[in-house]
Amino acid sequence: MPVPSNAIPAEDFLNRESELHYLKGLSALKERALGGNVFLEGARGMGKTELLMQLHRALFREEDVVPFYYPFKTANQKGGYFAKDYFTRFVRQYLAFVKKESAIAENVAEPLSCLVPAIASLGLHWLTDCIENFQAHLNHRDFYWQLIAAISAPVTAAQKGGKPVTVMLDDFDAAEQLFESSFGDAHALISLFGESMQNRLCPHVVTGSAGALDALFTDHSLLGMTERMRLGPLPEDLAVQLFRTHLATLKITCAPDLRFAFLALLRGNPLYIRNLAKATWKMEKKELTEKDLVECYGFEVSEGETAFYWTSVFNRYVQNPTKRRAMVKLLKHAMESGGMEERGRLSIISGLCEAETASILDAIEATGILRDENAVFQDFIRALYMREIEGRKPGDVREKIESKYLSAEEGSCFELVIPMSSNAELVVAKAVEQIGINMNLDADFLNHLQLALIEVCINAMEHSGSYEKKVFLKFITQPNRLEIIVENSGRPFSLDSLTELPVGEKLQMGIKRGWGFKLVRSIMDSVKVERVNDRTRVIMAKEIKDKEVHP
Amino acid sequence: MKSAPFSVASKLVGDAAVIYPKGYLNNLSGESLVKECGIYIGKGITKIVVNFSETDLINSIGISLLLQIIEDLKNIKGTICCTNMSKFLRDTFEMLGLIQYMVVFSAESDALEYLNTGKR
Repeated sequence: MPVPSNAIPAEDFLNRESELHYLKGLSALKERALGGNVFLEGARGMGKTELLMQLHRALFREEDVVPFYYPFKTANQKGGYFAKDYFTRFVRQYLAFVKKESAIAENVAEPLSCLVPAIASLGLHWLTDCIENFQAHLNHRDFYWQLIAAISAPVTAAQKGGKPVTVMLDDFDAAEQLFESSFGDAHALISLFGESMQNRLCPHVVTGSAGALDALFTDHSLLGMTERMRLGPLPEDLAVQLFRTHLATLKITCAPDLRFAFLALLRGNPLYIRNLAKATWKMEKKELTEKDLVECYGFEVSEGETAFYWTSVFNRYVQNPTKRRAMVKLLKHAMESGGMEERGRLSIISGLCEAETASILDAIEATGILRDENAVFQDFIRALYMREIEGRKPGDVREKIESKYLSAEEGSCFELVIPMSSNAELVVAKAVEQIGINMNLDADFLNHLQLALIEVCINAMEHSGSYEKKVFLKFITQPNRLEIIVENSGRPFSLDSLTELPVGEKLQMGIKRGWGFKLVRSIMDSVKVERVNDRTRVIMAKEIKDKEVHP
Repeated sequence: MKSAPFSVASKLVGDAAVIYPKGYLNNLSGESLVKECGIYIGKGITKIVVNFSETDLINSIGISLLLQIIEDLKNIKGTICCTNMSKFLRDTFEMLGLIQYMVVFSAESDALEYLNTGKR
């Protein structure tokens, strides 16, 4: 659970100075009716929680504004528990601020009654009254007044204590799920925050899923009282600086030629940057190289903290394992087809009925994850899909993710689409010829590569029955390896369906066809055939030996 | 790979036909080759030399059509010789284990002599 005092050192909190400055001054602005509440928006991991914690620390160190931070992500959503937790945390944090002892806020094991003498000794009698009132509501089991007393505690404190209170509500959209005794029995309890948010002495800074909070701020009494503040990614140089800082903290050294080029993939997301740095430590890396970064990244998105983070997000919105699997299928489909299409058709992808599929799509919308779309999230989905849907082993999944970047990192990638028309395979052969020339491949060796590729293409053209009538090719070159991926829609094809007869027997039986994949297998080092949705994907690889390259 | 447009030229040398497939030997061009050989077979020619000196590339369908010609000739107790095959072409037939079912010469003249004398 985030504790405000756990914020990272201020000097390591980069590029958020102006936002922090603005939020620090929010109470003064609100008092003069020049500002209101702030909805802190930004992709997941962009540092919204960290900004709140930095704000808390900054205000805590000063005297003018009382900071109160509440994380909804880990809150119990049963109203009674929530009220008690919210109220208790507020009292602790208030007392910690007055006494300048952060430990008071952190010591959750100590009952509130134990704090009363300290509160009394500080002359905060109004706070003692608040505690007694709250206790009375508890004793009377008055659910509504418990909530009101808890939510309005910062306002009461601001009015009675003479200092404004900046209320920081992290993952505030979770408050929409508050209930009385069973889930969904009390709608719109979140609206109880409206009163507190309107108070001039209590600016609120909230974070949460844009998807969920959009609706909240549009339909609600909060409309017009809240401004948006968008947290963007760290610029590339600062992202590298932050990563280096984390490495230094973890005592990880870097190879002299490390350029951190791979970090660009993380798009300046502080969470991803931190997690990747931690992964280097977990994997005991020394003299970190670019390849190590890719390896650690593969671990991160498949089994590391980033994977855990996203899994938690999923679990929060979709609890049922079957539905979660369907969600993974839908997200992978959305990634591959560039978005979600008509809802009716998506039940075929999810494997669930239309109503269930619709509820998953609503959850996806609420998480806002498709808005936050980024390469790291996509790799997490790929990894999860490979593990949960395809049943691959963790090592295999990691390797798949890594190979994608190792190839792209050290070599080049070419893509080509050809029509399924006469002699189109020759265009492919020409392309591979030029790639081979770029790699200084021996002409004879190159001819064989061309032949293998031609065979896979004509197999797709002849047997797929594809309506799309296109073959998609990808060439990934590395100094000593060439990988070619050929994909087409239509009839499934499997290597298992090929029967290998001895040549003599074949000729005797008058079988003249069926040499294509025999050639491909003879020429390439590895040939794999996969079925991805409605497409057949042939993946061929060839290791390039010295003798096959011109000096 | 030059991938010139496919064409078939041929000539009669004594009682043997010499065929010159040029370019990329695939399904369409392979059919032309079969047809060209068929014309000679129809005329009673049972000795055929296929000179591959200008064949750039062959695919599996081209190979199957070549096997068709071999079988057609075998059925009429004829002989087919393959000559001037590039290393690539030879390797391809070797990979498939087909080379042993073909009569291969490095030069066209050697094939013609063999067909004439029966000696290699």
